[in-house]
Amino acid sequence: MTTLPLRFEALTLPGYPAPISFDVPAHHAVAVIGSEASGVDALPAYALALKRPRAGRVLVFDEDVEQLPRRAVLAFRRRVGYLPAGDGLLHNLSLKENVALPLRYGSDLGEREITGRIRIMLTLVGISDVADLRPADATDEQRRRAALARALAFDPDLLVLADPFDGLTTRAATELLELARGGESGAGSRRTLFMTGQSVPMRLEPRIEVRYRLAKGELRRES
Amino acid sequence: MVGVAALGQGVARSIAWVGALARFFFHTLEAARWLPRAGRRVAFRVLLRQVWFTALQALPLIVVLSSILSFLVISQAVRELGRLGATELIGRLMVVAIVRELGPLITALAIAGRSGTAIAAELATNKVMGEVNALEGMGIDPLHYHVLPRFGAALLSVFGLIVVFDVVAILSGLLAANANGMTSAHYFNIVLASLTLRDVGLTVAKALVFGVIVGMIPSFHGLAVRGSPTEIPVASSQAAVGSILAIFLCSGLFVVLLA
Repeated sequence: MTTLPLRFEALTLPGYPAPISFDVPAHHAVAVIGSEASGVDALPAYALALKRPRAGRVLVFDEDVEQLPRRAVLAFRRRVGYLPAGDGLLHNLSLKENVALPLRYGSDLGEREITGRIRIMLTLVGISDVADLRPADATDEQRRRAALARALAFDPDLLVLADPFDGLTTRAATELLELARGGESGAGSRRTLFMTGQSVPMRLEPRIEVRYRLAKGELRRES
Repeated sequence: MVGVAALGQGVARSIAWVGALARFFFHTLEAARWLPRAGRRVAFRVLLRQVWFTALQALPLIVVLSSILSFLVISQAVRELGRLGATELIGRLMVVAIVRELGPLITALAIAGRSGTAIAAELATNKVMGEVNALEGMGIDPLHYHVLPRFGAALLSVFGLIVVFDVVAILSGLLAANANGMTSAHYFNIVLASLTLRDVGLTVAKALVFGVIVGMIPSFHGLAVRGSPTEIPVASSQAAVGSILAIFLCSGLFVVLLA
């Protein structure tokens, strides 16, 4: 039996008593769409144990991360890529240094290897020419690309994206989604993606295998 | 009755503040034990940047404060004590009042005002901008990335700047003594004769305690904001007030317990 990358079990969202449950199967892109009031923004935070749900639990690779000791939670999060809403880049570091940060902190790679890997990542997401800019001097799209490169630093199997397409053009959103998917495997995308947001550009819908809509505490599958 | 209730609430808030601060301090010390090996390099870079801002950029301020204060005190003392024939006391005055008491106090206050508020504002902004949340999401403990390096930098900076303050104060005192007719040899004789190992030990102990205060209180207030930009100036102001109060209280405790 293969491990399920992400499972939300009987989760209660703030303001809504009815629990919701759903799975994020391996090699699938799963999106939960809903308005700000629906509580959809809390789902990525629950997935990474950044917030504690009032009821229910979240299993990541069959592990209830909430139950792990803090040190293990931090190590666990390094196995999952995370693109926070906005971008979450550190403003006193350049885009390049932001991308390098998780590798410098959480891997035993030497500086030369990190530099090489970062160069590849920056080229992949198309921001090598602006890599030395600080986030404040970069455009929204460049920042989002840098944040994605940072989330992909450890080449994770599971990627959690909060509001990934917010404010992007359809072209940029399409490119971002393809980069996040990381190519195709026999079963679908190479990586498993879980994303939330208020909307998904229509052109992207065919590339997202499972779409849910969350409204008034009810989760409805749309595809 | 309302007054008593308000007083009680104030006391309860203060006790809760001290408790939360102590918890934050021990969590930071505990986090230091399991900072990943690679994370040490990252934290060291942040520490160096913070030392640059807290110690090196504050150097001119400390030199100016120390030289003016020492020059004024020693000029007056040479004149007044000279009339009484008690110029020998200048050495003790320099060591006790300036090197041991005012040096650490003024240095710590200057750093708390200059860098403490900046640390609190920076961390509060990081929190509001979602940077702290993003670090957590990447598996990087904000205590490792934000707090420990600033704590270490504050300890080093306060210690280093107190040494600078005291050295500049002694040299500035020399200028003041020379200007008022005292020879350099006599000045150094009476100052060095007054300096004991206990004075040095007390100065070092104060440097450590004030370093902990300047490193911890601003970080605590900076990371305590919940997410509204209006909390940033509040955190900054609370950090300044809390640090200054703690520095004065500890200074008083040193006098009561050890002097």
